[in-house]
Amino acid sequence: MSETDPPVEIEGRTAINEDWAATIVGLVLVVLVLTGVIPVGLVP
Amino acid sequence: MSTEERKDVPVGTPAEPGPGPVWALLGVLVVLLLAAATRYLDQNVPALLKGTALENVGAAIEYPVYAIVIGLIGNAVLTAAGVRERLSGGFRTEFFIKTGLVLLGASINLRVIVTAAGPAIIQAVVLITTVFLFTWWLGGRLGLEDKLRALLSAAVSICGVSAAIAAAGAVQAKREQLAYSASLVIAFALPSIFILPWLAGVFGLSDEVAGAWIGGNIDTTAAVTAAGAIVGDDALAVASIVKVTQNALIGIVTIALTAYFAFRVERRADAARPGLGEFWRRFPKFVLGFVAASVIATWWLTTVSAADGKATIGEINDLRIWFLILAFVSIGLEFRVASLREAGWRPVGVFAAATVVNVVVALGLALLLFSGFSVA
Repeated sequence: MSETDPPVEIEGRTAINEDWAATIVGLVLVVLVLTGVIPVGLVP
Repeated sequence: MSTEERKDVPVGTPAEPGPGPVWALLGVLVVLLLAAATRYLDQNVPALLKGTALENVGAAIEYPVYAIVIGLIGNAVLTAAGVRERLSGGFRTEFFIKTGLVLLGASINLRVIVTAAGPAIIQAVVLITTVFLFTWWLGGRLGLEDKLRALLSAAVSICGVSAAIAAAGAVQAKREQLAYSASLVIAFALPSIFILPWLAGVFGLSDEVAGAWIGGNIDTTAAVTAAGAIVGDDALAVASIVKVTQNALIGIVTIALTAYFAFRVERRADAARPGLGEFWRRFPKFVLGFVAASVIATWWLTTVSAADGKATIGEINDLRIWFLILAFVSIGLEFRVASLREAGWRPVGVFAAATVVNVVVALGLALLLFSGFSVA
């Protein structure tokens, strides 16, 4: 493999981090709605 | 539609060195504004067109259609203005779609996930194996380079861009091979969002079978969700369970590819055997979030009245639709045709043939495994 054609580890790591971020943001939103912090009718 | 030359960087990945966080934030703002326009059209067009000749058309168009079309228009405008590349750090399709799927988990009863998991796993294993081996074989017949073969096979058989990214890491592929595979995935997924729901109607498939078919053969998770949402909520539920199951199998395929390339193709004597650690590293963690959201919501619904439960889950569904709209707008904004022209007709031919095999085998499996299945 040449210097100008690096393998794609960076993108792999980015995707993995987005995975955790999406999991945490999604679950936090679920909990906020279920506990009433985000009240019914707030989301347009 | 973009025709910019950027063949050495994967789709959906900001340019390196990046244009900076301010541009990425502006990109997110653009996505949010276009999503707000999508939500407005989705909620108001049916009422605005009521009583006109276009009434039926207005009522039939679902939000993924508005979102993708608005994203493509935004793509053309931003490209013409010369700022699309700099804003692209904010077009986070993967993050938006995965958050949307975790939220979707809250509206699917755990019982549905558990009962659908069996057929979904059988479908995923048969489909991934058949389509992967067919694509690998055809790519070999047409003389494609091994790494590109591996990328295309993973992309078409598992779940599009994220599988291509995982496979690229496993086989140490070049950046332009990943960019090319990702472009092919997007180019084939975009029309299938509209064609498959239409064909499902022509074939008279039930919502559950249509969902299993869509989830089994459309490559990108975002496009599966868009097509499922066009068919309906039950189809979306089954399509997402089938797709999430495929996502969960990425780890196994990347381990197999890592081992195959290390020991058979490159014959590296020093290569370490990939193990459980590698499987966990490649495992898409949002799958856990999807199941966890279903577990939490299923339990929570047993503690409140049916009316309260319905209103609260409805609020989570609204949030989910917002995140899916953000993802679909990003699909439109990210779409590019330039890198497709670079590599000639053979990879396109391999991908097209594999897609046809995928569509046919997935339809057979969906009919076989999901005909008696009901979300209700």
